[in-house]
Amino acid sequence: MASLVRLGNAVGAMGIAILLLAAFGIQFLQGELPCPLCLLQRVALVLCGFGFLLNLRFGVQPLHYGLAILAALFGAAAAGRQVLLHIVPGTGAYGSALLGLHLYTWSLILFVAVIAGVAVLMIMGGRPDHDRSDHQTALRFRGSSRFAAWLLIAVTLANALNSFVLCGPVDCAPDPMGYWIAKYLP
Amino acid sequence: MTALIFLLVAVAMVVAVRGQRGIAIGLFGVSFVLAALWLNYHIVDVLNLSL
Repeated sequence: MASLVRLGNAVGAMGIAILLLAAFGIQFLQGELPCPLCLLQRVALVLCGFGFLLNLRFGVQPLHYGLAILAALFGAAAAGRQVLLHIVPGTGAYGSALLGLHLYTWSLILFVAVIAGVAVLMIMGGRPDHDRSDHQTALRFRGSSRFAAWLLIAVTLANALNSFVLCGPVDCAPDPMGYWIAKYLP
Repeated sequence: MTALIFLLVAVAMVVAVRGQRGIAIGLFGVSFVLAALWLNYHIVDVLNLSL
């Protein structure tokens, strides 16, 4: 069961990295620039991934799951706010729809799913890995776990670069029409 | 600001992979508080929830 829980955490971390890559796909292939609330939802996703990463590196512990749940609640707050902004008919929407729902609605569903997924992993997890030494958990941090962790780190760094190029060092436009860096390029 | 938050989380992840859990969780806390403040900064518009 412990290996299944470990696999669940690796799938969680990798799934978040793949979702963030898909968001990049929509941004660059369809030309839909993310709004400030959209970027904050991406922040919440990487913070959720951080909880899974801690489980992979240091062993499964309630504290790590707590961080993932906290991040998912933050993401649900950001996504819920954006859903409420456009919930009244005729108030428009931001971006195009995917399978009938806008990305912020999918995002809200995803954060609820993360909380549900963490609950299932906690039920399956049984006793926490407090008794394992750091050396033992470090030895098991290889293969798919290691790949998932480094993929998540790479995607997070790509998001940092993307946010800087899009918004600059401080504030982002509520409805960005172009990249901030474009002002300084010939 | 969002770029800085992403960068902080990335540093926290690298620190975690290197084995320093306390520092990593501390960096998570800082980035979480910054993200919450940044969300609060962006939710100033009045919500119209009915026609």
